[in-house]
Amino acid sequence: MDLLSKFEAVAEIPRQLNGGSLDPTNVVMDQLVSATEAVVQGRSVILAGTNNYLGLTFDAECIEAGKRALDQAGTGTTGSRMANGNFTAHQALERELAEFYDMPHAVVFPTGYVANLGTLCGLLGADDCVLLDADAHASLYDGARMSGAEVYRFKHNDPASLDAHLRRLKARATRTLIVTEGLYSILGDTAPLAEFVAIKQRYGAYLLVDEAHSLGVYGDRGRGLSDAAGVLPEVDFIVGTFSKSLGATGGFCVSAHKALALLRYTSRPYIFTASASPSVIATTRTALALMQKRPQLRQQLWRNAHELHAGLSNLKLQLGSEISPIVSVGFDSREAALACWHSMMKSGVYTNLVVPPASPDGSSLIRCSISAAHTSEQIQCIVDAFANAIGAAESAKGAASV
Amino acid sequence: MTTSNELENLLRGMLREFLDDRRVPAANIDQLSDLDLESVQVMEFMLEVEDHFDIAIDVESFSNARTIQDLAQIVAKRSQ
Repeated sequence: MDLLSKFEAVAEIPRQLNGGSLDPTNVVMDQLVSATEAVVQGRSVILAGTNNYLGLTFDAECIEAGKRALDQAGTGTTGSRMANGNFTAHQALERELAEFYDMPHAVVFPTGYVANLGTLCGLLGADDCVLLDADAHASLYDGARMSGAEVYRFKHNDPASLDAHLRRLKARATRTLIVTEGLYSILGDTAPLAEFVAIKQRYGAYLLVDEAHSLGVYGDRGRGLSDAAGVLPEVDFIVGTFSKSLGATGGFCVSAHKALALLRYTSRPYIFTASASPSVIATTRTALALMQKRPQLRQQLWRNAHELHAGLSNLKLQLGSEISPIVSVGFDSREAALACWHSMMKSGVYTNLVVPPASPDGSSLIRCSISAAHTSEQIQCIVDAFANAIGAAESAKGAASV
Repeated sequence: MTTSNELENLLRGMLREFLDDRRVPAANIDQLSDLDLESVQVMEFMLEVEDHFDIAIDVESFSNARTIQDLAQIVAKRSQ
């Protein structure tokens, strides 16, 4: 056994997932045609798994803003915010985010992953506790681990489990940060935030909500699930990403607590990473403004989510309990999910394959995320591709049992 | 008061039932580090132990328990 021996087992992963020439974990988009179409291996595919909820990646205003920033500020910042990489546009985006959430403080990070790492690392110390929802994203778990705080977990979306854990932590509850998401990325279910807020207030704990998948999706102004649940002012820290509804890359944290501003001095992932390129900041700022100016995008997104959900319900597939722009179809085995994914690709529909250990509950899933930019025809194609895949699987089963 | 042997037996019984429910084969359940459990299942068992004893166990301590005896020590300490 040497340093690299462990990779022999890792090399099995793509081999197991490869059903011909395509590895679901390594699909190459040769050409992006629009927010909802790409070319993969010479064939046109409908993108039904790209988290591009508002379909803004090809918006003309965003593209123009990005080009202008390239001309005016160059290709990159070549440094961290603390050194030479702190441009007027970074600070402007922070101000705009703070105003959007009606909170005084905002910090921008170069990716959503770094936003979670940086926020948790900056906020938590060795004497603190962090209480994570069992299904919380890996970036939240990694940030919690990296902070040195004691990490506890409570049952997914379960207020009684959260309550019990805070009670068991006794006096340490006031040094505890509860970490949850708004809309969960794999199953498309939502956190009971009003109940969580009531519990955290009873124990004097703090609450962080990751709105990565709910920004632009929930609330009258697209501010996320906290706003839709009527508890935004009571949430201590909101984190989110620019790489979904805003069609760029980057992440942020907003808060009413002054401590967030001081995180610039305590968060290693903030201090030691290069800041986002000017063009990325520019497209993000434009998308944030457009999201507020065009509520019809959110309305269309929800119409599309209902349409896809209804179409898949008619096929009697195993769907999640809530209707949302994330629609996941459950399968009895990893092999069945994999076969369906390959069949969908053959039908010209790209989705996400989610199998253990990546799935939250150990199940095997095909995950779709719908966009405001999908047309009714495209949604029908997605439904038809599922029907074909399921039909082919049934026929194969029938043939095998003859 | 529960002795350490009783506590170990109780945990052994809980683990056996947990593994049986999920059809996870295990020759020696005392050696936690050798169990073929996915990370999701380890966490599920941790939540079950926490609820059963009404205690909070941090993820790192639970993950570091290599044997049923280690786990019993953690539970005993957190139950004080």
